[in-house]
Amino acid sequence: MSEKKKVDEKNEEKVAVFICHCGGNISDVVDCEGVAEWAKKLPNVVHSEDYAFMCSDPGQKLIEEALDKGATRAIVAACSPRLHELTFQNVFRRKERNPYYFEHVNIREQVSWSHPHTKDEATEKSKRLVASGVAKVSLQGFLEAPTVEATKKTLVVGGGLGGLRAAKDLADKNVPVILVEKSPFLGGRVTQLDTLYPKDDDAKELIHELIEEVLSNELIAVHTNSEVTSFAGSIGNYDLTIKHTPRGVTSKIGEKAAKAIDICPEVVENEYDYGLTKRKAIYQKYPGSYPSYPAIDWVNCTKCGKCAEVAEGITLENDPTEQSINVGGIVLATGFKPYEPYEGEYGFGQHPNVITLPQLIRHLADNPSEELIWNGKKVERAALIHCVGSRHREDIDKPLEDGSLNYYCSRYCCTATLHMANELKDKFPDMHVFELFKEDIRSYGWGYEDYYTTASEKNVRFFSFLGEELPQVEITEKKHPLSITVTDRLTFNETMIIPTDLIVLAVGMMPEEIPDIIDMMKVPQGAERFLLSVHPKLRPVEADVDGIYLAGTVQAPMTSTEAAIGASGAAAKAAILMSKDIIELQPYVAEINESLCKGHMTCLPACSYAGAIYEAEVDGKTVARVNPALCKGCGTCVPSCPEGAIQVKGWTLDQYKAQVKALAQDPSEV
Amino acid sequence: MSETEDFKPKILIITNLKCSDPGADYVGQSHLEYTPNAFIMRTKDPSVFPEEFYFYCFEQGFDGVIIMSGGTDTPFKGAYEALAKMIDNVYVSMQERGIEIARLRLTAICSVCAEAFIKEMGRIVEAVEPLGPIKV
Ligand SMILES: Cc1cc2nc3c(=O)[nH]c(=O)nc-3n(C[C@H](O)[C@H](O)[C@H](O)COP(=O)(O)OP(=O)(O)OC[C@H]3O[C@@H](n4cnc5c(N)ncnc54)[C@H](O)[C@@H]3O)c2cc1C
Repeated sequence: MSEKKKVDEKNEEKVAVFICHCGGNISDVVDCEGVAEWAKKLPNVVHSEDYAFMCSDPGQKLIEEALDKGATRAIVAACSPRLHELTFQNVFRRKERNPYYFEHVNIREQVSWSHPHTKDEATEKSKRLVASGVAKVSLQGFLEAPTVEATKKTLVVGGGLGGLRAAKDLADKNVPVILVEKSPFLGGRVTQLDTLYPKDDDAKELIHELIEEVLSNELIAVHTNSEVTSFAGSIGNYDLTIKHTPRGVTSKIGEKAAKAIDICPEVVENEYDYGLTKRKAIYQKYPGSYPSYPAIDWVNCTKCGKCAEVAEGITLENDPTEQSINVGGIVLATGFKPYEPYEGEYGFGQHPNVITLPQLIRHLADNPSEELIWNGKKVERAALIHCVGSRHREDIDKPLEDGSLNYYCSRYCCTATLHMANELKDKFPDMHVFELFKEDIRSYGWGYEDYYTTASEKNVRFFSFLGEELPQVEITEKKHPLSITVTDRLTFNETMIIPTDLIVLAVGMMPEEIPDIIDMMKVPQGAERFLLSVHPKLRPVEADVDGIYLAGTVQAPMTSTEAAIGASGAAAKAAILMSKDIIELQPYVAEINESLCKGHMTCLPACSYAGAIYEAEVDGKTVARVNPALCKGCGTCVPSCPEGAIQVKGWTLDQYKAQVKALAQDPSEV
Repeated sequence: MSETEDFKPKILIITNLKCSDPGADYVGQSHLEYTPNAFIMRTKDPSVFPEEFYFYCFEQGFDGVIIMSGGTDTPFKGAYEALAKMIDNVYVSMQERGIEIARLRLTAICSVCAEAFIKEMGRIVEAVEPLGPIKV
């Protein structure tokens, strides 16, 4: 019998207590030494001490030493369990002890940071929380994680740079991939760009190279026009339904594609260039897009049949089909959308010469010329305004429709704006180019600063405004139809008036809307509505749902370099999961005490997970049983049992009651 | 001195792992403050508790109990609906036992709902303070 088993079976309640100072984060408010000393009086506590950083190597060593000296269980009172519960459980694993005999108590976020001005009360509160942790871990029964065989296949949701990178990296690790892209074409937003900083690579060449690598890889099945519509299961075994909407067009259309597009009578806004031009209801995203033949936009197609009359390979049938898949892990790479300025924001929507940076990129890419003509007139002066829809200020910027503000920095846009200023000066050397930035320029990446230096050398003129003193735009009848008034910090708050022909708004990034995915997979969003990782530093690409990983801008505003790094990280994490034959699940599932169970089966309707609770016959007696692979451990079944025969392992009612008692008790009475 | 003068209610905050407990962390990260006489007990989901459990909390001396559930955002199907039904039943029993129902509050707090957390804490303290210490 292994040492681990022996310790578990002895099941002694010898608890070691550790109080972390977290530098001064906790100890500046909580008397950690006092709490540790006091904890020695608690029942079952055999060791108690405080230490500067419990998560550090020497801190973890203290736990090891306590285990060596006879402690069988431990609590650490420190930061949030979301940050270091796993770190401390791993100390137990390293010592071949059962990690579930560890309990994490939060006295940083939930004590010292929430009560910095009431130090005595914070110390008293910490004592009660420590007592509660000791009470809980003392009652911990033996827990063993159930195991399941993992499906060695990963689903990647989103076919932009992040999704494609993740798919390719996974396939390189011999992991089969199913990639679903909602739109009819691959490549995401990078296909809408022209040249990419740093190094001014051709955006389409870059993304096409990656797309070709993905399409030619036999391990990757790519589905465009496809979406996830149902989701069930757990890490290692996710069951999903993919809805495929027919494209309406096959490659058979060949050279007749142009004719079919031409004859289509439905004309709609072209999202590819952000509404600058129109497209038809049968359309190709751009020449050379992937796939290389058109698709039908079923929202706008009237099925008049004209296209099918002039070309082969068109079927005006859009009934979707469904495919059930089973995968071990999921990479979410659904990307971003550019912020849409509201009508009147710096004159947007009120004058045609106020446009967004993505629009100008598309226009310049599609209209090579020696002059920039806008609205029928040569642009002699262009002004680029930073931070539109980013770094919002309360009471100054207008909230979005849902009432929220984008407080965050969108990160990509300072450099993209400098990049554009240089491009304008290179293409149109006589043009006067102005950049108005909010307080500072954040061209933070390797080589990005060069764009600023070059722009200065090219005589791009910079103005800096405060977040509370946004530039004002006026529409005029003068030679240059727009006028910007700005209080410029670079000239010690001089009021500057800039007449201009074109205003370009450097719009921020917002997460692509994926309410169905969030609802189905229960992946948490942060305050800024991007998806949250479990830990921003230590586990940055893992969603807070086991087996789900985040790639690219689904997680935060990123440049394409950062999106690719994040995607490779997500792929590596998913590949680690796929490398295991057996996966450990959470041990915290419902358990039925069959000697108490009278077979009323009231738990069955209380449970929302099909098959998690089932009826069984044992020695002629009906009892309820739990399938640990299907049970989520929510505990909703617990109060339904009149005999009190159900508990959630590791979170039993006795443990909760012991915690309540400990929390209620005056520390001075211990 | 009247019984309610200087009375600082002792509150039990029941959180859930995925929504309100990270929400409580977010309160700390945002350096927002609330009464230190409130103690968080995290649960996988508060739908686990039978009616009697709430009376146990009052018997142990908690003047108020606030359940910070994940609302319909809880990761568990049907859990919030079951919890809401349970709390309705608890309210009826509280009335029968002569315990003011304002001492028990069901709320939904998300992982980034720092302000809602503070608001709800303010509300329960405000509701319990005039009632004075729990008597069971
Ligand atoms: C104006 C502008 C200029 C930029 N310039 C540069 C630059 O010069 N250099 C640089 O490094 N970066 C630049 N960027 C940033 C770059 O565009 C992004 O970093 C990159 O596009 C991120 O890729 P992604 O895969 O994360 O997201 P996306 O490109 O948005 O791809 C996401 C994909 O997921 C799909 N999708 C969405 N929802 C679903 C769903 N529910 N199911 C299935 N699929 C779904 C989308 O259709 C899309 O194909 C710029 C960005 C902008 C806006």
